[in-house]
Amino acid sequence: MEAKLAECTRIFQKFKAAYQQNDYDTCSNLLSQLKVKLTEFPALPPAYKQTSTAVQELILAREIFEHAIVLSVKTEDQDAFERHFLQLKPYYTDTRDLIPRSREEYPILGLNLLRLLVQNRIAEFHTELELLPPEAHENPCIKHAVELEQSFMEGAYNRVLSARQAVPHETYVYFMDLLAKTVRDEIAGCSEKAYDFLTVADAKKILMFSTDRELQEYAAEDHNDWDIRNGCVYFQKVKDLAPCKEIPSLQLINQTLGYARELERIV
Amino acid sequence: MVVRALSPRVHHEVGLAPREKFAPASPSDRGASGSTSAVAGLPQHGPEGGTMTVVSTASGLLAMLREQHPVLKLHALNNLNAFVDHFWPEVSTNISAIESLYEDETFDQRQLAALVASKVFYYLGELNDSLIYALGAGPLFDVTEESEYVQTLVAKCIDEYISLSVKASETIEESPPLDPRLLAIVEKMLDKCMADGKFQQAVGIALECRRLDKLEEAITKSENIPSLLAYTLRLSQTFVTKREFRHAVLRLLVRIYQSQPSPDYLSICQCLMFLDDPSTVATTLDDLIKGDKVDALSAYQVAFDLFENEYQLFLLNVRDRLPEVRASSSLDVAGSGAPAAVPVAMPAQPVTADADNGATADSGPTAMDTSDGEPSERTPLLAREPSPAPQVQPVHVVQPVRESPEPTAAAEDAAESSEMSTYAQRLTRLKGILSGETPINLTLQFLYSNNRSDLLILKTIKQTVELRNSVCHSATIYSNALMHAGTTVDTFLRDNLDWLSRATNWAKFSATAGLGVIHRGHLQQGRSLMAPYLPQNGTGGASPYSEGGALYALGLIHANHGEGIKQFLLESLKNTNNEVIQHGACLGLGLAALGTADEEIYEDVKNVLYTDSAVAGEAAGIAMGLLMVGTASEKAGEMLAYAHETQHEKIIRGLALGIALVVYGQEEEADTLIEQMTRDQDPILRYGGMYALALAYRGTANNSAIRRLLHFAVSDVSDDVRRTAVLALGFVLCSEPEQTPRIVSLLSESYNAHVRYGAAMAVGISCAGTASSEAISLLEPLTSDAVDFVRQGALIAMAMVLMQTTEARDPHVGAFRRQLEKIILDKHEDTMSKMGAILAQGILDAGGRNVTIMLQSRSGHDRMTAVVGMAVFSQFWYWYPLLYFISLSFAPTAFIGLNHELRMPRFDFISDIRPSVFGYPPSIAPPTTTSAVKFPTAVLSTSARAKARQKKDAAGKGHVLGGSSPGHADVGSSAEVSGDFNETTSSGKDGTAMEVEAGPEKKPAEANTEVLSNPARVVPAQEKYIKFREDSRYMPVKRSRPSGFVMLKDLEPSEPEELVSTDTPISAGAPGTAPSAAAAANAPPSGLGADDWDPPPPESFEYIP
Repeated sequence: MEAKLAECTRIFQKFKAAYQQNDYDTCSNLLSQLKVKLTEFPALPPAYKQTSTAVQELILAREIFEHAIVLSVKTEDQDAFERHFLQLKPYYTDTRDLIPRSREEYPILGLNLLRLLVQNRIAEFHTELELLPPEAHENPCIKHAVELEQSFMEGAYNRVLSARQAVPHETYVYFMDLLAKTVRDEIAGCSEKAYDFLTVADAKKILMFSTDRELQEYAAEDHNDWDIRNGCVYFQKVKDLAPCKEIPSLQLINQTLGYARELERIV
Repeated sequence: MVVRALSPRVHHEVGLAPREKFAPASPSDRGASGSTSAVAGLPQHGPEGGTMTVVSTASGLLAMLREQHPVLKLHALNNLNAFVDHFWPEVSTNISAIESLYEDETFDQRQLAALVASKVFYYLGELNDSLIYALGAGPLFDVTEESEYVQTLVAKCIDEYISLSVKASETIEESPPLDPRLLAIVEKMLDKCMADGKFQQAVGIALECRRLDKLEEAITKSENIPSLLAYTLRLSQTFVTKREFRHAVLRLLVRIYQSQPSPDYLSICQCLMFLDDPSTVATTLDDLIKGDKVDALSAYQVAFDLFENEYQLFLLNVRDRLPEVRASSSLDVAGSGAPAAVPVAMPAQPVTADADNGATADSGPTAMDTSDGEPSERTPLLAREPSPAPQVQPVHVVQPVRESPEPTAAAEDAAESSEMSTYAQRLTRLKGILSGETPINLTLQFLYSNNRSDLLILKTIKQTVELRNSVCHSATIYSNALMHAGTTVDTFLRDNLDWLSRATNWAKFSATAGLGVIHRGHLQQGRSLMAPYLPQNGTGGASPYSEGGALYALGLIHANHGEGIKQFLLESLKNTNNEVIQHGACLGLGLAALGTADEEIYEDVKNVLYTDSAVAGEAAGIAMGLLMVGTASEKAGEMLAYAHETQHEKIIRGLALGIALVVYGQEEEADTLIEQMTRDQDPILRYGGMYALALAYRGTANNSAIRRLLHFAVSDVSDDVRRTAVLALGFVLCSEPEQTPRIVSLLSESYNAHVRYGAAMAVGISCAGTASSEAISLLEPLTSDAVDFVRQGALIAMAMVLMQTTEARDPHVGAFRRQLEKIILDKHEDTMSKMGAILAQGILDAGGRNVTIMLQSRSGHDRMTAVVGMAVFSQFWYWYPLLYFISLSFAPTAFIGLNHELRMPRFDFISDIRPSVFGYPPSIAPPTTTSAVKFPTAVLSTSARAKARQKKDAAGKGHVLGGSSPGHADVGSSAEVSGDFNETTSSGKDGTAMEVEAGPEKKPAEANTEVLSNPARVVPAQEKYIKFREDSRYMPVKRSRPSGFVMLKDLEPSEPEELVSTDTPISAGAPGTAPSAAAAANAPPSGLGADDWDPPPPESFEYIP
């Protein structure tokens, strides 16, 4: 076990070194190796065997996953982020009593919140938030995410966009960029509901585009049903208000007659 | 707001998850479920360490599933497999990932993925999906695991397999081959059952799967093969509904039985009877009687058991396949010439035969018709000749064992010296049993000598019913006939000849026919008894009604054993054109030739039918059915065609019932015909269809039959059909009487009186003799129904249910008897319910209180005669004379122990229960009836002391009959013959309480056990209390069932046997006759076994109030 641990630590050192040099391909390869190695440690979730090296194993594994998350931000791989985060989570929740807290815990949790916000998974965002202890809300990383969410909900999109300047951690930048897109989607969605059409100028303003071209690209990419002509953007409302359903009178009559007949037969 | 769509399956299935071990956290989204699922009941790891680490979520593992590296996927799957029991809600949201892993051909642990998926689907309640994946999991799905998941799935698997294999076996076309994986699991399971010693389970599964190979394996591998065989036999009778497969199972059973070192011949022959294989039975029996004494005893026991199933055609076939007794060896001439004759005790033959002249002479005046000594006991059997007596004598002259005219023992010794003659004797005895001669004689004797009918009841009825009311008048006659069914006691009739003569026309017909019920089974004398009433050739003297009645009576006497009489009946039928006589002759023929499918008789009866006379045609229709019972012959189509042709409702009804009888016991094979009948426009044919359903599925409790009957019970437009449909439920459920009250309970509250009537009769039929409390509580309100015929039905049904029940067993009996009395006495009561009450009295005390209604034999086979009798009986709604058919369903509740000579040795055994619980009900008190009946309950406790004194007096005086002291209105005066502690039979608990009160001056409280002597009355409910003494000289060959005919093994064969002396007048009446007098004195009961035994004159038993 010790040997394996040492082996793992060694690879992890290599990983860190590569990471320092921003050699993300090597990092990915090494990470993959590391994860396979980790499956051999019995003290890790969900087995939680009590081994002599349990604490080291847990700490090492946690650190590996923390790094994996950061790496996935760097490589802008949201799926990998989610995967790694979910695998990391037991180290934060289930092993509180076994190993000391990680320094990186709040930044990573905050990062995750931000990711949920970006992906517009508000329900999960709140679930995650509820799971945090009250004192965590004081942490700048968490606080940042919470404030963003509030602004987002209020519709104070300018505040959301301006928050980019005040990120608590450099890794947050990636998501903040993505957030702008999320905000735009949200606005576009609202506009569809609110207006039949907008002039291109207004649309540009609302959707925070500087050029017509950007607007056109955006419309072509995400909103095929928008129609841009005559200097206006027409939102094609889906007329899905189905006409009132007709009452199936014949069927009802038949049923009622059937019941009456059955009642007659009841003995 | 975005709510992530859950997989729809999850959405609505979570609540239905089959076996939730804990309140499931609703499957929240991945990553979000966090600690919500960290609830109690999660596995706690590291118990050996101080800290407990609790797994709170499987989301990490699920995330790992999406990793690229296969090792990671595998790791995740492994862990998921371990945790799926707790985290299935989370896993279920990702089930598609697991499914796709399973479908990924490149993934080398697909089976593991399948297992996890299977478990998740199991928790979601999707057993079908779960099963598919479990099959995909291959060897990883471990049937030996004890988890609920595995058990459920294995059960599901077996169910699936069963339904597939049943389907495969039922469709003719080639069905798609079974999934071998399914098969593997089932077989694994079966092997496991066997390895664990759970052979009964294995047998059950194998039976359900229709796997004969596995069935055989399970049986032969077990340690206790006999018990398992018995278990299988029972299962095959009760649970295997498909005839074809049941037969296959039975054939297998026979094979296994035969391969046993000591085969259980009783069971083998039962199986063979179900298979309708008379020749093998004959061979088996023949082999047995070639063996030693014990084998011979088994052979007799087998024969008796077969007899009890009352399958005449089969019995005759067996008998005919037995080898002929060699001409050289003695009595064979008699044996084969008149097969039904001489069976009983060959060894006694020398004696009795020598004495024959005398015996013949004095056996004459046994019963009512005081004809001279002319009829020898053989007469009816050789009845083809007008004057048979001369032929009989020569037969007897050929004496087998000449050397000693000594009593039986000597003759027996001599006989045994020659093996050949031993064999011949045994063979003849065996044939005697199979032909029914021996058991019928023994039964008749038992019923005669133990007759406890209460003439006072009849007297009361007779006095109270109005003379002009012919319905009640005939009802009294019916009632009398039922009360004395099979006892040959016709005192009541003879005492009231004047009164009897008021019966005219059809009443006369039934009065005469009633004699047949009373003398039922009196085969030898039957014809001579009825002689005064029978049609005389050429001289049309007597009334056609009594002549017809007499022919019907002959049929009743010879019911199901009519070899000797059917020729005579046939001639009577041919010689008459009178429709009343034809009516009687048809019914008589039908009864006598029940189920023999005799072509000649059938043709003649058909000719009667084609005369298109309503009266005769109805009987002809029924008779054709009776003849063809259970043959499913194509004659049914012929009958149906004529039913469509004729205009007479009576004929249609007779034919409809006849057709129903033809399909008796055919189950599914009758479905086409049943369908045809139940869809007919004519309500009478639909009504026949109900009977066809009832009889085809008698005692099977077949669900589809019940469903169809219930459908007709509520939807048909004709009241008759509805009534019959409900009534028919009683037949279908007669093997499971506890079910019937539940099923018809709603119907018994129907607004339609006919349905209520049917419900009452259904309960009566299926719960007959059970005294089941559900049945009683269902019937009780109906006995005071607003509609008269419902009351009638309920009273009759109640009487059927309460047959042979004492108040000690069920206090309702007393109340019911009082109710009957009240109805009979009430001047303002409707005739219908009065009639019901009178009949109920008759049924309640039927056969001298020694019979009960048994639609199934003790071995669980349906008694065809009984069921048929009951079905025709239920026709009395239209035609009162058919009431007598109920006598066919009476079975004596007797223990009759027999030794190897088929005679009754002295043999005691113990009934381990208070005698009053199963005793005879006390005779009712003398004349001041009204007050007297109510008396006991009113004054029991207060008059305890006086009563005690009286009792003592009574005991002192010896057996004073209750009638002698009118002041003693109490029950204690029931001076039974066994008169010791039996007197306390007053009224159950009251009786006991009273005794305690009475204190020390009373006799000690009622004994807890009772010693019964062979032959004894053992009512069915009593059987479980019967114990045989270990130190007894005799041992029953078959210990399982202490009632009916039981062969006794003599453990001290060297000692002289002491035989039971019965109080039949045979010994008293026979004295001074012949050289045999001395012998009779030595071994009085020898007369019993002797073939010339006659029921003695009844006078000696009668008592005059």
